[in-house]
Amino acid sequence: MFKNEEMEINLGPQHPSTHGVLRVKLRLDGETVTHCRPMIGYLHRGVEKICENQSFFQGQVWTDRMDYCSAVANNLGWAEANEKLLGITVPRRAQYIRTLLNEFNRIASHLIWLGTHAMDIGALTVFLYAFREREDVLDINEAFCGSRLTTTAFRIGGLREDLPPGFEKMVRKFLAKFSDCLDEYEALLTENRIWKKRTIGVAKLSAEDAIALGVTGPMLRAAGVAYDIRKAFPYAAYAEMDFEVPTRTEADTYARYEVRMAEMRQSARIIQQCMDGMPEGPVMAKLPKILRSEVNEVYHATESPKGEIGYYLVGEKGSLNPYRFHVRAPGFINLQSLPKMAEGGLIADVVAAIGSLDIVLGEIDR
Amino acid sequence: MSEPNAPQTPETPEAPAGPYVYDYKAAPNRQITMPKTVPLPSHRTYVAEQKAAAEADEAKWQKTLADYETAKAKAEAEGKDAPKPPVRPVPRKDDTDMKPPVPQEATDPDLLKLQALLGDKVEEVFEQAGELVCQVKKEAIHEALAFCRDEAALKYEMLADQSGTHYPAAKDFACSVVYHLTSISRRKRLRLRILVPEGFAPESACSLYPSANWMEREIYDMLGIRFQNHPDMTRILCPEDWEGYPLRKDYPTVGWGQRDISFREDRGGMLERIALQKAGQLGINLKQPKAE
Repeated sequence: MFKNEEMEINLGPQHPSTHGVLRVKLRLDGETVTHCRPMIGYLHRGVEKICENQSFFQGQVWTDRMDYCSAVANNLGWAEANEKLLGITVPRRAQYIRTLLNEFNRIASHLIWLGTHAMDIGALTVFLYAFREREDVLDINEAFCGSRLTTTAFRIGGLREDLPPGFEKMVRKFLAKFSDCLDEYEALLTENRIWKKRTIGVAKLSAEDAIALGVTGPMLRAAGVAYDIRKAFPYAAYAEMDFEVPTRTEADTYARYEVRMAEMRQSARIIQQCMDGMPEGPVMAKLPKILRSEVNEVYHATESPKGEIGYYLVGEKGSLNPYRFHVRAPGFINLQSLPKMAEGGLIADVVAAIGSLDIVLGEIDR
Repeated sequence: MSEPNAPQTPETPEAPAGPYVYDYKAAPNRQITMPKTVPLPSHRTYVAEQKAAAEADEAKWQKTLADYETAKAKAEAEGKDAPKPPVRPVPRKDDTDMKPPVPQEATDPDLLKLQALLGDKVEEVFEQAGELVCQVKKEAIHEALAFCRDEAALKYEMLADQSGTHYPAAKDFACSVVYHLTSISRRKRLRLRILVPEGFAPESACSLYPSANWMEREIYDMLGIRFQNHPDMTRILCPEDWEGYPLRKDYPTVGWGQRDISFREDRGGMLERIALQKAGQLGINLKQPKAE
């Protein structure tokens, strides 16, 4: 009567729920996924090769275009890695401004995640609300560096410009309303029965598996491991900030949602502290006109909204460009855990798993 | 479309087999400059270099002094004024905020512990820019990783990053492979490094750290280093039939299948040719009519 055989299908590379050009090869037994293999590389542009052939300064525009939702966080990791390689001390005011912009970026990235992830699962309304506030964050980006998405916000050694006039007013206005906005999103989702049925217990990834697979960021914290590089290896001005690392122990899609929502509240707290305690002083270190490296290799990791973004740089003596430029993209490593989460579950939950990973294919393929 | 850099041969030219097959080595604007040095940070090399530099500096100064003495004696003999005594040059004062970090001797307990555990399998340990580096013998990497993960005093639970670098100027190895380990519970980072010659396949780290799976595939894809006992040693970012390894230093930045037209020199000409070709395909005559 009915044939009992497995079916192989491709999810992607052109599928709206795969957030870009991700292709997932699935083997299905009915609606249950028995085998899952993510296939990447459709957006490979050779960013590492390009950056090795350009000067230290020119690499920054490529970091914008890796994970275009969190360009500022990528810029920050890039700038600090170069500063570590060359041995540059950055002025304190620049550190504060970097921290502030980085937290705004975390909010923007989490908002785009919230909107698209909820939309994948079927809650369309929250997308419109989330993009309303994201627009304000992009306006703040624009006020600071003139561009909204691919920011190129920082320079090696500090910042190009100090804060523009009227910036503080914009930030205060945003902070005043943002807490209420978060309540609005939570009113739409947190107790929503459909949302809870689609997310609770879905795509579980235990703490042991997450650590073994190198998963970082909100994914790891939703499994109960309080590993946040801002606390564990403080950089920029995070050592002076007072904030909490939200964790959950359920390790499912709903826990990741809760962690990210709580993180946005903490980001608002950090922005408040940065704005209140903004020190005076220069924003750029005193540097020679031409930057030449010594023989050195560094690995510098920072906490991007997606997880640990690390830059591995090798410097050649007297060279104007990095000898080796390698990016440890959080999405690339986190995506490895997709088979672990998807196998044994339903095909509809693969979409929830991909959404809760919060991937951007631009940084996975580089 | 004609290619300006194509070899001018009177015989019938062979049709290219496809867009991926292109003799990039022959094209004149594809020439790449190979690195001349081996930028491999090492405390031992650094100390030797500093010593050699100091000795060379001292020898130069002694020569200046000797020259001065002979010049002085000559001037005295000829009854002229004595020449100015030489002044030893002081290093230029650096008032910038840039102080490149230098390799330092290992003092961290983790590195000493690892050195004690592995014995003569460790080639070098040092610290630089606050980072711990341990270079081990290429055959011993699996053992070193196992110690780092399981030893109670080390406990590096996560392999955060694995990567490699190509060193074409080095004589006894071709690439380095680095492992960046993170200890979440102890808040520490450690870099393990091995140097692999051409054709050597190091032991895969997948059995200890499953996160190495994709990272080793990426290293294979980009640098051509194969790993032993890897569950799935295939390309990950490039297509399966891709030729060459892009992150090697002898791989050109201008890729296969790209047109050999210098946009700077032949901008107008090329755009015109493309326009005429397109128009021709559409059956439109774009050429200016001749004046009667």
